[in-house]
Amino acid sequence: MTPPLKILVVDDEAIVRDSLEGWFRQDGHQVTAAASGKEALRLAAQEHYDIALVDLKMPGMDGLDLQSRLAAADPELTIILMTAYASVDTAIQAMKAGAYDYIIKPFDPDDLSQLIRRAAEQRSLRFENLRLKRSLEAATAPPPILGASPAMRRVLELVTTVAGTDATVLITGESGTGKELVARAIHATSPRRYNPLVTVNCGALPEGILESELFGHEAGAFTGARGRHRGKFESAAGGTVFLDEIGEVSPKVQVELLRVLEEKRVTRLGGTAPLAVDFRVIAATNCDLQALVKEGSFREDLFWRLNVFTIEIPPLRERAEDILPLAEHFLASFTRAMSRRGLELSPEARKAVLAYHWPGNVRELQNAVERAVVVCNGPLVEPGDLPVHVIASPPRPASGSLADAERDHVRAVLDSAGWNISKAARILDVDRVTLYNKIKRYGLERPGDGA
Amino acid sequence: MGPDGRLPPSPSLQLLVIGSGPPLPVPDVAARLSRRVAVPCRVEAPVEVLDLDRVPGRDQVDADRLLERIEAWPAAAGVLLVGLTPLDIAIPIFTFVFGRARAGGRAVLVSLARLDPRFYGLPADPALAERRAVDEVLHELGHVTGLRHCDDAFCLMRFAGSVEQVDARGSSFCARCAGRLPRWMGAPPLSR
Repeated sequence: MTPPLKILVVDDEAIVRDSLEGWFRQDGHQVTAAASGKEALRLAAQEHYDIALVDLKMPGMDGLDLQSRLAAADPELTIILMTAYASVDTAIQAMKAGAYDYIIKPFDPDDLSQLIRRAAEQRSLRFENLRLKRSLEAATAPPPILGASPAMRRVLELVTTVAGTDATVLITGESGTGKELVARAIHATSPRRYNPLVTVNCGALPEGILESELFGHEAGAFTGARGRHRGKFESAAGGTVFLDEIGEVSPKVQVELLRVLEEKRVTRLGGTAPLAVDFRVIAATNCDLQALVKEGSFREDLFWRLNVFTIEIPPLRERAEDILPLAEHFLASFTRAMSRRGLELSPEARKAVLAYHWPGNVRELQNAVERAVVVCNGPLVEPGDLPVHVIASPPRPASGSLADAERDHVRAVLDSAGWNISKAARILDVDRVTLYNKIKRYGLERPGDGA
Repeated sequence: MGPDGRLPPSPSLQLLVIGSGPPLPVPDVAARLSRRVAVPCRVEAPVEVLDLDRVPGRDQVDADRLLERIEAWPAAAGVLLVGLTPLDIAIPIFTFVFGRARAGGRAVLVSLARLDPRFYGLPADPALAERRAVDEVLHELGHVTGLRHCDDAFCLMRFAGSVEQVDARGSSFCARCAGRLPRWMGAPPLSR
């Protein structure tokens, strides 16, 4: 028995319409009957039906014609053709035109019952499939990477470029810059997106456990290895392995990793037969791997194997224009999550957020905003709602070279002294000539003078 | 039927044999049916109905036309007519039907032709044929009282498109359908 369906019966013979109506009603379905193709189209335009049983031979519009028009009006409608003239040609024609099935009059009661049941199951499977596909699309959608700064736009361009390839990617950047987010974005836009993304935090696991996690083990491989365990490379099965904190991997595991990356085969601990594995590797580190290679703690061959395509994520302090959009994004997100209403950053809080140098990068900003949403009482997030170290910190230092820092500092002192050269020179503890030389060298201009 | 067209709370069943053919074990069916319902079952003398409508182009009696004729049969108020026929019945759209009834009607029709193992080339088994006939009568009476087909695999109101399915669904109503049946469709009270 199937759940109640809305069935449209289309036949020019009243006896067929009446019989099927009565029959389907006994099964609890809702039935509407139409005596012609024209009437059927009118009914289908007014109401949605699950299944249409359409007679093949009708005066005026025949069943095949009606079928194509009904299908065009409602692609989800399951159409079954009824015919008294059984022939292979008819069947082929009907199926080619998209009919779910066809049935020969008179029907065997069981055949009709089963046909309706199968059609209902097929519809249910089709919708389930559609629902799962939508969930899968949503689950595998690339995570949003926010950032309007040129540096982040470049990162996004690189993600797009490399995602479609199978190249190994090395993501570098300070802690909290979003290396895992970038790895997820690459996987989610790659052809491997419907297969797993397996993350291994190489820095968090002792050597022995990391080996077992990465390569798997056979029962009895070591004390406590009671059963066979599939490693991450096997688990990825056509997907992506994200090796986070790759710079922390011990020399022994580096050798084993190199072999797996080169051979695309993995041997479980305690096992003898290497297994072919299909994966793509994305590695990430906050270390300077080249420096580690120079000092001998990271294998050069592994470095070159990983360093096929590098994406460097700049620290937040180097992309100040991203700070406020990110803060506002997190504010909106936590406001929703905590069922708060319409929180905004006050002008003072904005200044404080912009002034801080965010050594913990985006992760630190996210945590600070979360805390602010928790402690904030009014509709505005005030500086007092932010962590103490954010508001008590010195202004965000300039990035880059010593000259950059000097330029920024000189400009800040000039601004604070209202561009009074003598006063600024006294604060800087230099003579006026030296200050003039620095203004000239750095091309500094009094605000409003440049226009 | 009551004057308002609804079933009386406790009708009596009147069994009619319609159409000539192999003799039907009607008294045995009536006896079995009596044990399943709480109202009297009376057997009428066999009646010969002439000019039975046939399904066009087929040697089968048109079940709907025959049901109409049974419903028009002269009978006292409060009588539900149970037409039993040895003839194979069908409706134009189906190759055969075991029985017919309509919700709120005053008659049911059951063909014993395809309930008899001999129809399928099997040895005669009167007890099996009688049990199937009673089950089918109860199924159609269920429709008369307003029940629809049920999705319980072992409920008498489950649709059966073959005799195997008639046997597989069993002889009793599921709790949900039983709860919707009028009291007279339940087992008769034990005699004191």
